[in-house]
Amino acid sequence: MLNLSIFERMLMTLLMSICAGTAIAASFRVQCPTSTITHPVAANNNTEPSYVGPTVLAPGANGYLTPTANVNGAIKCQQISGGDGYATMGDGTQTYMFSFSPLSGLADMAMGLPGTQFPSVFNTVYSGSTPLVPGDPATTIGATSLPLSSAQLSSLSTFYNGAIGQVPDIDNGNLIDGHVDPRQIMDIGVMNGNIPAPLMAIDEDDEFFLTLTNVGMIMRPDLFEQHTVHFHGYPNASALYDGVPDASVAINIGGSFTYYYLAPDAGTYFWHCHITPPEHLQMGMVGQIYVRPRQNRVPATTTLYAALQQQQNDPRTACNSASDILCSNPLPAVNTGAKGGGKYAYNDGDGSTYYDVEYPIQIHGFDPNFHFVGMTFNPEGFADMKDKYFLLNGRSYPDTVTPGPLQTQSSDGVKHFSQPLPSIINIPAGGRALLRISDLDVTEYQTLASLGIPMNVIAINAKLLRDQAGNNLNYNTNSITLAGGESIDVVLDTSIPKPDGTAYKTGEVYYLYTPNLDHLANDAENFGGLMTEVHIN
Amino acid sequence: MNSMTIKYETSLKFSMSRLIRLVMMALCVAIPVAVQAAAPGITGTTFKLTAQTAYISQPDGQSIYSWGYGCDTSYTPTYAPSNIPGTCSSMQVPGPTLIVTEGQTVTVTLNNSLPASAGNTSILFPGFKVTPSGGVAGLLTQEAIPGGTVSYTFVASTPGTRAYYSGTQSDLQVEMGLYGAIIVLPKNIPGACTSGLAAKNLAAQGHWGEFDFRLAPAAYDHAKSCYDREYLFQFAEMDPNIHSQADAQVAAAGNCTAGALGCSLNVPTEPYHPAYFLINGRSMPDDMDSNYAAQYPHQPYNGNPHMHPGEQVLLRIVGQGRWQHPFHEHANHVRILARDGNLILSQSDATQLAGPLLFTTTTTPGLAMDGIFYYTGRGLNWDMYGHHPGSTNPNATLPCIPDANGYNTGDPTAINYYEWCQDHNKPLQVAPFGDVNGGGPVTLPDANILTNGAWYGGSPYFGPDATVRAVGSTGVTPPSGTIANSPSTEAGYAFMWHSHNEREITTNNAFPGGMMMMMLVDSREFVIDESK
Repeated sequence: MLNLSIFERMLMTLLMSICAGTAIAASFRVQCPTSTITHPVAANNNTEPSYVGPTVLAPGANGYLTPTANVNGAIKCQQISGGDGYATMGDGTQTYMFSFSPLSGLADMAMGLPGTQFPSVFNTVYSGSTPLVPGDPATTIGATSLPLSSAQLSSLSTFYNGAIGQVPDIDNGNLIDGHVDPRQIMDIGVMNGNIPAPLMAIDEDDEFFLTLTNVGMIMRPDLFEQHTVHFHGYPNASALYDGVPDASVAINIGGSFTYYYLAPDAGTYFWHCHITPPEHLQMGMVGQIYVRPRQNRVPATTTLYAALQQQQNDPRTACNSASDILCSNPLPAVNTGAKGGGKYAYNDGDGSTYYDVEYPIQIHGFDPNFHFVGMTFNPEGFADMKDKYFLLNGRSYPDTVTPGPLQTQSSDGVKHFSQPLPSIINIPAGGRALLRISDLDVTEYQTLASLGIPMNVIAINAKLLRDQAGNNLNYNTNSITLAGGESIDVVLDTSIPKPDGTAYKTGEVYYLYTPNLDHLANDAENFGGLMTEVHIN
Repeated sequence: MNSMTIKYETSLKFSMSRLIRLVMMALCVAIPVAVQAAAPGITGTTFKLTAQTAYISQPDGQSIYSWGYGCDTSYTPTYAPSNIPGTCSSMQVPGPTLIVTEGQTVTVTLNNSLPASAGNTSILFPGFKVTPSGGVAGLLTQEAIPGGTVSYTFVASTPGTRAYYSGTQSDLQVEMGLYGAIIVLPKNIPGACTSGLAAKNLAAQGHWGEFDFRLAPAAYDHAKSCYDREYLFQFAEMDPNIHSQADAQVAAAGNCTAGALGCSLNVPTEPYHPAYFLINGRSMPDDMDSNYAAQYPHQPYNGNPHMHPGEQVLLRIVGQGRWQHPFHEHANHVRILARDGNLILSQSDATQLAGPLLFTTTTTPGLAMDGIFYYTGRGLNWDMYGHHPGSTNPNATLPCIPDANGYNTGDPTAINYYEWCQDHNKPLQVAPFGDVNGGGPVTLPDANILTNGAWYGGSPYFGPDATVRAVGSTGVTPPSGTIANSPSTEAGYAFMWHSHNEREITTNNAFPGGMMMMMLVDSREFVIDESK
């Protein structure tokens, strides 16, 4: 058996030798400023303020516009590692992955939440009674078996959510300035792969600082593989932050790079590594990100229509069909008078994208042959790649309905939370569930059907379905079909009675499954696959 | 020993695909000439085509036996746009792009010069009411027998992009390459497409000495279909096994007599294992060479889009072959105007569009889509031109005067024409060392921990003026030493446009390749010349 501690030591030695050759010694670091030009008051950047109108901008002393009132949004930060790891398939097989893992928001991630944090959380130093160790948070809370006990869930809820490695900078007056202790990062980030990759969620008007730290792939030390993050579907991205290695920069082993974005228009996006995509995506470097609309921050006393009219007053947030062919949410044709205070998928101005609960669901597929070849230093073939595991949030049925994280013992001998996101859908009776469905399969189209509750498609590719005249174009269907590289927003609405006139009741169970019948399998098992359950609570 | 050497040795030992990848990367950037695209083809009302065989070239060095439509040698075609000198060989994949105008009566004559054993052939023009003449009756239309001809006449009744392809034994003939596109230009160009911003965009092109390479100022008789630049992409895949079997069987049949016993092919088209994934008949990186490049005599069309900020770019996307492909456009959404020439308009207001906004435009066999894309950098929250109020360089202190939509469109001659003004002068970096504004939100790491791509412009900033001010004229050279987007002359923002069924961005199992291209958003100083 491979002695991984020697591998780790070799890697560290390599990292140190790289560091030694450069003027700036610390090649791992995080960036999460507490204030910026756009968000000038640090104390205000740790909550989302209400939206009462566009940010008021005025020329500042340095030649650019600075906000003077109505500062919208906040600052959000996240750290991830690029490396490798293992996941457990529906038939019990441990599968090797190239993968990302969380290096911030560890506790939130383990509870199925985004790992995105405000600066007040991200910029804290770990102060637990025992040091962070490989497998954390699973190791420290003693998660030896699943599901987690209430005591373990309780320890998880108070576990550290800050940036792993964050320590006071002794060269800079002990400030928390993004200086990190690489030991913590290596302890947590190595062999800790997640599928899907860490969940991210931000709000419109936020500035988002995403630090990717490349810890190397322990099982494939021959590769010296770089990684990147491509924010798939982001409009008007810069080439630098688009994550395509051919057109920008790729992050070497031992380095950290911080991607910076002002949140784009609300919608369900997704992200992935863009290095050798047929390989890195198949191997598991795929994740989810969504942007919540400003409409979520509209006070309950204001109509959504009036709030959307306010957005028209800022050219950045305006949507004007007459001048912008890519405008997707003009004022609705009908003012429904709906007021704020709820949760919405888009700035609809009429409440049509309201939801009670939301579930990010990522469709993917693993070809076990390719993953074996990827682990064992063999030449890879692309043309005949054939998925045999069909995944919803990295799980096949019946794992899809297992609550809480799934664990996998990696080749470091430690159990890691490999698949943190269940894909069971729990809807309060009479409520609306928003499914943020994205697909990063690299080989074929997949269909997901709803047996029972109609799927109301409200948006495609992160854009509200509405024509330029303001008419909503959402539609009912019982199946949606996506290729890798597409997303769709679907509402399961249990407030509308069933066709026989009766209401949805607590305890009822419905199914989401694929009519691609050969995808209802877990490799050799003729059972499982792309399927999950919808529970009415 | 440096890390590149280690990678090379271990790759050789353990992973041949990685070695191939390195070699492919080296090949694909070997001749970094700036090449552009447009949507060229042949125009008129009478087209004389022939169906013939030839070997088409793939970047892995293979020559693939194929069948394609080409120009009959008895005929001298007229090329459009007129400022791109064209050629039309007697066999090409895809077939010649036929460019006609709405209302014209079009006649396409097809001569069947395929081997006798390949049997009859034909062309279908879905979306038009076709009157065939001559030939023999086939299942779907009149067909040309080997050595024979058939004609198809139709009125180009409505504008838009559509596919044409063989209607005879299509499972084999379309796979072999018998497909192409027809573009119908609108008869009545809306006034909005030659005035206002459309006119200013044209003036900006003219100021920098750029020619107008459009086929028309609008895609449809509709004011929402104006465009400043256009590209045509046809997607198809290829199973080399089918092609080699066809080659072998045709050779075995020799000069047989059409219709005689044994003078036919029996090439299985299932199971289907495509290994080549083509855009306009070429795989990346060949698709980024020029239109009509001499090295691809049978694959004249490329895929290498360029555009300036704010330009409305018409994408004519056609599915050929037999599979769907999720074509992902990095950098913005595409507004779908129409499918198969049918505008998608609002049910309540026919002046407004209702087609979807997509970042992944799925291609479907036989389906053509027209869509509009643009890039402006709106909402970046930093000045991509790297303007610097404290500079003594006049280009660093240009004004940005927002129009009603927030863009600097007052002066079409300005380098920063169409700049997004809300971020004007706003810095990106905390402490840049060049002549760009500082005090921004991020610190870029030491360049030694990054690997730069061949299409990286050398800095975060846009265009050679800003890049040279920020990092000097050499930018940051990629480890390969190969520069396909020079910091001192282009420094565009490069984005990958590709199939998101990622295994399709390979060429016969080697990455990179297949259905992939780089799209370049170029600053105004860079002259986009589609004829190159």
